[in-house]
Amino acid sequence: MISVEDRLEIEAFLFKEARLADESRYSEWEALADDDMHYWVPLQESQDPDSDQVSLLNDNRTRLATRIRQLNTGVRHAQLPPSRMRRSIANVEIEELGADEYAVGANVVLYEFRRQATKELEVWPARVEYKLRRKDGELKMFRKHVFLLNSEGSVRGLSFII
Amino acid sequence: MIKQTDTSKSPRYDELITDARVHSSLYTDEKVFEDELNRIFRMGWVFICHDSEIPTAGDFVRRNVGREPVFAIRSRDDEISVIVNRCAHRGNIICQEDKGNRKALVCQYHGWAYDTKGALVDVPYPGGFKGDFSCHGLERLPLVDSYQGFVFASFNENAPPLLDHLGRATELIDRAVEMSPVGRIRLSGGWVQHQLNCNWKMLPENDTDGYHVNFVHPSFAQAIRSNYDEAVLDDEESLKSLAKDWGNGHTELFFSPSYTRPLEWFGCAEDRHPAYTKAMLDAYGEQKGGRILRDGPPHAVIFPNLFLGEMNIVRFEPVAPGVCLHVHTPMYLEGVEDDVNRRILRQSEGALGPTAFLLADDCVIAERAQSALQGKGGWLDLSRGAEREVVEDDGVISSHLTDETPNRGFWRHYRRIMQPGSPTSDVGAVA
Repeated sequence: MISVEDRLEIEAFLFKEARLADESRYSEWEALADDDMHYWVPLQESQDPDSDQVSLLNDNRTRLATRIRQLNTGVRHAQLPPSRMRRSIANVEIEELGADEYAVGANVVLYEFRRQATKELEVWPARVEYKLRRKDGELKMFRKHVFLLNSEGSVRGLSFII
Repeated sequence: MIKQTDTSKSPRYDELITDARVHSSLYTDEKVFEDELNRIFRMGWVFICHDSEIPTAGDFVRRNVGREPVFAIRSRDDEISVIVNRCAHRGNIICQEDKGNRKALVCQYHGWAYDTKGALVDVPYPGGFKGDFSCHGLERLPLVDSYQGFVFASFNENAPPLLDHLGRATELIDRAVEMSPVGRIRLSGGWVQHQLNCNWKMLPENDTDGYHVNFVHPSFAQAIRSNYDEAVLDDEESLKSLAKDWGNGHTELFFSPSYTRPLEWFGCAEDRHPAYTKAMLDAYGEQKGGRILRDGPPHAVIFPNLFLGEMNIVRFEPVAPGVCLHVHTPMYLEGVEDDVNRRILRQSEGALGPTAFLLADDCVIAERAQSALQGKGGWLDLSRGAEREVVEDDGVISSHLTDETPNRGFWRHYRRIMQPGSPTSDVGAVA
């Protein structure tokens, strides 16, 4: 059982991570990721990230850096202008993994206004699993796995930080 | 009685399409879309699946042919049937899952049972059934044929043979499978369905458009050092890649002339995969094996719905005039070590699909184009580079990478299908 203080600190981290992603503050968001970050949006409900099954996105730290670098060029048409977004995080459950490491599960609903093309509102419901660790007194994220409810159906362009 | 008014007359496609321009209504008009579903997706050959997706008896995959739900299934005698996914009794879906294995096909609604070729074999409560079993089978597509494991089918029993439709483009498929030292690919990675709110024809057009890359993908060019720097992103005088029209609507961006060393197309050093290199040279000999290792895979569209996207296989699916799917899977190679297929997988995720470094930008550009074509519309220019095309010895039309040769090839074939009997200057077509 984690302490109330730890829970508040972790929730505050999740809310900040969500806000930076919502506001397309790419480099500030990237600074929350640790050196061994794994950012993953699988295709299937149950999938081994190391299998031969394709993913919608399967970034190690290097590829994530490339993704952020591309978004920061200012000529990434898919996010020009960036989608206007707001997401809500609910049903947060936290498990202590060991010394200063935590597994966090949550339900997330993201609303996205696609102003760069069709000007529609898109809804992205997902199960999100994070892993966090305390490093030099601050929380860092080293895993963000996003299980979209419609990942095996047809999926619209997803070039923002989900 | 309700008076029927004919509001659905087909347009004159030979007036909407010339070698120099096409009319925007071809991307937006409901009647055009209905005509395409009938004349292209029912009357012609459509790519269904690769036989490696259904390796054992009873394996099936669901697909759509135009808007018709079908599934491809392998029988015990190894025949692959493509069957409409609709019970012959009351029309329910027979296979609900996207893929699986069935010894028999049983409808969930009233329990009618069919064998893996679609023949009716059992009807529950037979006392009330006075029909003839042989008249109540599932609807099978009358033509199913395959080339190098690529399975195609047609609703039209009078369609010309598959090899006539593929024509010279069999060479493109050969080049894809010859990336494997045993000449076999495997589509086992699962399919990502990327929805674009644009007309389906923008997919084959854009996938072999060599002109847009510098303008749609500058963020890719700036963020990532890749083999595309030489192949497509160079200035007009320096580009060595070519745009090609293979006839019958099959088109290609031919990158190979840009590559100067083995595995450049694979984005790695030439000694990065020594076992693969050796296997290829052993299998095909020093000359041909060396050429394949330098040239790399094709980047080509097989009309109407198959894209040999280098180390990916893509299906195009029309959904509505303004909605389509770009559906992709990594093209795994048989007879290679795992790290080769692992590289293929990671590159596939990088290039294609909703989150990709490349396709996410194409998606937005296509959706903007679809918005611009609403209303009365206008003409789209297709004339770039027509005066500098060359007809090669094998009849393939070749031009500068940035020329609209592939687009003209696509539309010429489209016009031939959509307006039978129309005059044609289809020099690229196979008779």
